[in-house]
Amino acid sequence: MSPDRPKRRPFPWIRSIMAAGVVGALIVLGGQLLEQERVGGESPVTEAGPRVPGAVFPTDTFVGKDVPQPINYSHKLHAGDLGINCLYCHTYARRSKVAGIPPTSKCMGCHTIVATADEKPEIEKLTLMWESGQSPAWNKVNDMPDFVHFSHERHLQKFLFDNPDMNIEDSREVCAMCHGDMVEVGVAKKMRPLTMGFCNTCHENNDGPADCTRCHK
Amino acid sequence: MATKIDRRSFLKVLGLGGAGAALAGCDMPSYATMEEGEEQVFSYLAPEEYVVPGIGVWYASTCLQCSAGCGVHGRVREGRALKLEGNPDTAVNKGKLCQMGQAALQTHYNPDRITSPRIGGKNVTWPEALAFIKEKVTGAPVWMTGSISGHQAVLLDAHLNASGGGAHYAVETINAQAWQAACADTLGDAQPNLHIDKALCVLSFGADVLGTWVSPVKFMADYGKFRAAPRGVLTVVEPAMTLSGANADHWVAARPGSEAAVALGVAQVLASEYSVSTSALPSGAADAIVAMTPERVNALSGVDAKTLSKIAETLMSNSPSLVIGDGSYETAAAAMILNLMLGNVGATITPSAELVPADLGVRSGSTKALADFAADAQAGRIGTAFITGTNPAFTAPGGLKIEDALSKIGLKVAVAMFEDETTQLCDVVLPLASSLEDWGSHVPATGAGRGEIHVQQPLMEKLHPEVLGLGDILLGLTQDAGADGLEDFEDYYGYLRTAISAMIGADFEPEWQAVLQAGKVQAPTADRSFTANGALNFNVPETKAPPAGRLSLITTARQGLFDGRHANLPWLQEAPDQISKAVWDSWAEIHPTTAAGLGLKDGDYVTITSDSGAITTRVFLYKGVHPDAIAVPMGRGHTHYGRYATGIGVNPLNLLDGTADGRTGEFLNTTSVRVQATGDNRHLVRLMDVDQQYGRKLAATISADQLRRNQGGA
Repeated sequence: MSPDRPKRRPFPWIRSIMAAGVVGALIVLGGQLLEQERVGGESPVTEAGPRVPGAVFPTDTFVGKDVPQPINYSHKLHAGDLGINCLYCHTYARRSKVAGIPPTSKCMGCHTIVATADEKPEIEKLTLMWESGQSPAWNKVNDMPDFVHFSHERHLQKFLFDNPDMNIEDSREVCAMCHGDMVEVGVAKKMRPLTMGFCNTCHENNDGPADCTRCHK
Repeated sequence: MATKIDRRSFLKVLGLGGAGAALAGCDMPSYATMEEGEEQVFSYLAPEEYVVPGIGVWYASTCLQCSAGCGVHGRVREGRALKLEGNPDTAVNKGKLCQMGQAALQTHYNPDRITSPRIGGKNVTWPEALAFIKEKVTGAPVWMTGSISGHQAVLLDAHLNASGGGAHYAVETINAQAWQAACADTLGDAQPNLHIDKALCVLSFGADVLGTWVSPVKFMADYGKFRAAPRGVLTVVEPAMTLSGANADHWVAARPGSEAAVALGVAQVLASEYSVSTSALPSGAADAIVAMTPERVNALSGVDAKTLSKIAETLMSNSPSLVIGDGSYETAAAAMILNLMLGNVGATITPSAELVPADLGVRSGSTKALADFAADAQAGRIGTAFITGTNPAFTAPGGLKIEDALSKIGLKVAVAMFEDETTQLCDVVLPLASSLEDWGSHVPATGAGRGEIHVQQPLMEKLHPEVLGLGDILLGLTQDAGADGLEDFEDYYGYLRTAISAMIGADFEPEWQAVLQAGKVQAPTADRSFTANGALNFNVPETKAPPAGRLSLITTARQGLFDGRHANLPWLQEAPDQISKAVWDSWAEIHPTTAAGLGLKDGDYVTITSDSGAITTRVFLYKGVHPDAIAVPMGRGHTHYGRYATGIGVNPLNLLDGTADGRTGEFLNTTSVRVQATGDNRHLVRLMDVDQQYGRKLAATISADQLRRNQGGA
């Protein structure tokens, strides 16, 4: 027996470090599991042939959250079944960095004539807002961080307007590069990861600029 | 090295390093920073055709952050003003804008804005507030404002005339009244045009042309040209270094209040050594020059004969020159005498154009007006006072007893954007629109534009529905008072548009739109010529070294917090001071020799006591201040000015005793104080904390002499 054994037990360094390692590993694995669940990774292009001629079409998929909206607007109905061009409503996309939510006046342009408030409860909600001078408070689905500057105008210019092989009416194929096939979903959902890795891969494949300050200003 | 790493420590380091590496590797998925459904986005109901979200539109307006009146362009996107820049089409600021102008956005979006009328601190409606005023008003109302011009000034006069002929007190702590008085006395033109850009040498006595004097953005642009080849020489004589002094080729420290003696001393050297004639000077000037021998200059100011000769030599070898002086009437008048001797009048000083609609002209603020106001209030001559654009409870010298004076006034109505020391003492507070929400017209402080009047238009809707523009409030009050000819105007916009259209003879929408687009309108002007001058009465103060234990307190003005009105703007609190590089706090500049005499080192707290009060702040040892002086910048030390300004730093203005200049009645900026260490020491937070580079040559320097040897040249 050693008589001068210290009263306080030394801190268990080795065991603590091992415990920290296990916690770290769990965080890593958990993050990866989460990522696998949300990001589908490489999947085959669903349609035959290039959807946007002259461009490598991103194939990453992403399972976005269901984001509740004040009005259950259906992209499937408007852009899919009725075949309305994306740029008819998101008219600012070709002129500005933001695509913009269509003004209520645009909705009411049709809905005072077709599918009116008397026929559809959702349109009734819209009409009441319009008459009381209130804009619907839409919840943002695709929200870039403030340090990322993405320009809709620039991307449409390259892939749609300056693309000689592209049919000018097929804007939805260009939109689908980043937004997925919105014609398949009802209320909007995020369908691409829209991470820096996603942007970078597409920029590499399609000769987009690679300098940091082009997007981070 | 005796340190030995044993096996145990080695394992610890290895283990910790490994854990760190493992944690660093486990990056969160990057879309964790991206949100879905967290923020809201509102669409327009029915947008204007030209509105495109994400694309900014620039509108012309006018900056009201100081009384210079620079033209601005403001970028508006989605109905919000986002950025201000100078209007390139104005003669005053030519597309440039200073930090105070840039920070107007923070004035506008400030969370401490007053959003509703208040009576005794309680929110009320406008009808209630107006009914209260109507009921309580006694006597003829008076107005106390900052410098004011344009159509607001016309309406202000109309209100005073219609309601009993009360007085208008235009109050500005940072002003150029002494210079204007000297120019009026010598040239018959209080605001002659100054051409720094045409001068080869500028000599300034206490006028901070690059920082706060009259129209700093205009002078900075001119200074840029002045410094281009051939490079002009700048000499500055002042007791504590300003931004102009820091840029000078030759900086001379003069004892506080003795700048006039130095200027007259230079005049004597010019007369005796360079035979410059003094015969054409106003009577009284020649005698004053003869009396100011180099020995006397040295006794009064501490500036030696060699320095005087050097200044005179610089003036003689770089012609034309320009001499500017402010701070006291004697200093300004002595500077004007130098200009007259050197033939600068007509060369770098030219007559300003006379504004034909004279009622639009600038009512330049002064501190004399504050003294008059206090005296009138104390004597019970003021029954009702409207106060806007000035904060007398913060800026008044302690000797004035402004709180006491205000308490003698029956009804005090503040028209203000923020609660401050003055609104606290007022009975009614009316919420004022910001400069980005209001209409107006403003005559710039310098006559550079020859009658160009800057037009102010709102850049966006009012942030708070209850606020009203100054013009609207004045129009309403004037209509209520029963003034003739104003009944038809629904709002100030209608009045302004009618008045400007009538002035330029425009009847149609396109002409009015052109005025708004340009942000300015040309008023008719008349030429003016300098008139013969009368006598000058010099009363050069007998400055001498202060008695032991006392120093001269100088309250210095800085571009940024200015006279304290911008202390509630975090951008300007955060912007390092131009001299000390300090942020978010006050300090007292003191010469290292003086500090050594008092046993003070950097960061020591001192209590500075005058007859009017005391402040406690820390000292900053700095050679750019006269050894007889202690300099405390004004602007901080608010007790009631919102979340960003309250309790930050100390206010030296209240320490001044209120001694007035004999000719102009302006408060002199110095007062005798006692300085005592408290024993505390704390570090002053500064950008660029040390003055040395530890031999690392971070900023390479070369002496002028060495450069000449290496590079050749004269």
